[in-house]
Amino acid sequence: MAAPIITLEKVEKRFGDVVALGGVSGEIRAGEFFSLLGPSGCGKTTLLRCIAGFEDPTSGAIILDGKHMEGVPANHRPTNMVFQSYAIFPHLSVAENVGYGLKKQRISRAERAQRVEEALAMVDLAGYGHRASHALSGGQRQRVALARALVMRPKVLLLDEPLSALDKKLREQMQVELRRLQRAVGITFILVTHDQEEALTMSDRIAVMFGGQIAQLDTPQNLYRRPMSRQVASFIGFMNFLDAEIRADGGHSIDLDVAALGRVEVPSSQRPGKPNGRKVSVGIRPEMLTILMTDSETAEREIEAEVVDAAYYGDMTYYDVRFPGVAEPAQISMRNTAGRRILEAGDRARVGWSSESIVVLD
Amino acid sequence: MTVALDEAASEAARPQTKRKARGPSDARRGLTLMSPVFGYALLLLAIPLGATIAMSFWSQDFLTFDRSGTLENYAAIWTDDMPDHWTGIFGSYWTENLYRALLLRSLSVSLFVTAATLLLAFPIAYYVSFHVRKNKGLWIFLITIPFWTSYLLRVFLWKVILGYEGVVNASLMALGVIDEPLTSINYSINAVVLTLAHAWAPFAILPIFVSLEKIDRSLLEAAEDLGDGPIRRFFRVTLPLAMPGVVAAALIVFIPTIGDYVTPKLLGGKDGLMISNMIEVQFKKGNDQPLGSALAVSSMMIVASISVLFVWMNRKYLRARPS
Repeated sequence: MAAPIITLEKVEKRFGDVVALGGVSGEIRAGEFFSLLGPSGCGKTTLLRCIAGFEDPTSGAIILDGKHMEGVPANHRPTNMVFQSYAIFPHLSVAENVGYGLKKQRISRAERAQRVEEALAMVDLAGYGHRASHALSGGQRQRVALARALVMRPKVLLLDEPLSALDKKLREQMQVELRRLQRAVGITFILVTHDQEEALTMSDRIAVMFGGQIAQLDTPQNLYRRPMSRQVASFIGFMNFLDAEIRADGGHSIDLDVAALGRVEVPSSQRPGKPNGRKVSVGIRPEMLTILMTDSETAEREIEAEVVDAAYYGDMTYYDVRFPGVAEPAQISMRNTAGRRILEAGDRARVGWSSESIVVLD
Repeated sequence: MTVALDEAASEAARPQTKRKARGPSDARRGLTLMSPVFGYALLLLAIPLGATIAMSFWSQDFLTFDRSGTLENYAAIWTDDMPDHWTGIFGSYWTENLYRALLLRSLSVSLFVTAATLLLAFPIAYYVSFHVRKNKGLWIFLITIPFWTSYLLRVFLWKVILGYEGVVNASLMALGVIDEPLTSINYSINAVVLTLAHAWAPFAILPIFVSLEKIDRSLLEAAEDLGDGPIRRFFRVTLPLAMPGVVAAALIVFIPTIGDYVTPKLLGGKDGLMISNMIEVQFKKGNDQPLGSALAVSSMMIVASISVLFVWMNRKYLRARPS
């Protein structure tokens, strides 16, 4: 595993009585694409600003590339930021914007111009240098902000919701490009976002934050498949929850009695959050449940259910089904493959699932 | 949605004649709305200005005007040496062209006042914009308090403060700092500069404050993020972006100051008079209204050309930009 470029040690930040960060610890590895994901007000932007040096943590330490950052102002940190508003200097041209940070460094005018042009080429804006910055479109401004930060060759690039102001199509295109760029330059990227899809598609690892704390720091796959709490599970994608009771905890495996689904034994790796107590819940993703349309289709486990609602989306159909004895309907997503039937509300359905697909939560 | 579309469609389909019919009535309504102000401007601005410019090419023949048109008034101001009848009065005390000297003095005083006002106003505007968190409105309100008193009264008060036995001198004498009253602060060009700078300060603070308020604070963070310390950041981002306000403030102070009449009259003493005082002399005691007009037009031209030059120098920062 790569060495950490940033170590957070119990970073705490208060604004008056408001606790924005309640002792955040964690490590960010050199060269990874790291995301801070959470709803607004969870402290993700505050954490990013603490790393950048725009906010001083009330207590705790930020160690960046082996150096304590306490008292180091933003202009002396090896980080650069892409601001949410892009913060393009309106009185400077595109090239002057990109070369802004280089001017202070002792490099020749020719080399500076070359590096600016390289950075612009990197973000597909070659030849735009002479343009006035106020004449740029939103997507172009975003690229200029990116080039302006990358040209500094920072150890860590900080991105504060850089894609939130773009329209959907441009945003998806920029997600791919940002990822490609990050692999090409090999710089550690830290992305702040509230868009779970964006975080999942782009990141090597994600820290999910709630209320000033990191709820889970993991890879996208683990976050989706093995969330450690109901909060994380329902923030990332959709999750069906069913009440359950632990009957026996054998260390390596757990024997559960799940509402409607019945007795099931799962390995303890499917209990990542290690909830205490006998009363727990299990989570199961909509695509992990299958409606068995014909008698020839079988599953490891099956259950009878009633279709409450069906929503046809073209490529997918989303069903709400009610399991016997469970008030809250469960959601099932089914791909509309050739010849597969579409059920209607009121139909009876055989729902298949497997013990591998459930996760035990608090 | 559909209703709006239908309306738009019918709007587009409406015969052009009906639209055209609305045109003149709109224009007429606009003219009607504008006409009081327009008439006012015509009567009290354009006509007097035209008359002044016309008169500057005439010459005075005791009680009547010679309207044949002459440049001799301008020659008296710009090219001639000291006129003989003035030499008769001043003797060897004053030998250069008095008009030119007064124009240059007015110019240098107003430039000096403008610079002093901007230097004093900017820190105040900066402080209120960047360091006052609550009650910015209250601060701005306080800054306008001097306007609650008339300009004339404020000038008189400076007379009390700066006079030979005024507040400043009396205090310094009482403290034993000086033995006899300072004469450099009263009835001199210094007193004029001080008074004018104070009188115009709020006019300079407000536009600078507004342009500082408009600066997106993330731009300052971006500058810091890219390696600038506070001082470099100020000169590379804050000041350039505040330039529209600074230019406005400079013009607001510079333009009226060059023609200020009351302050030099009351506080200038014998060496602190400015061009407007000479214009008054020409119109009244001097009984040479054409020369007075030529002086007025000359000082107007100086103001206009310097203002244009100033705006041109700052054109880079004044370009309209969409936010």
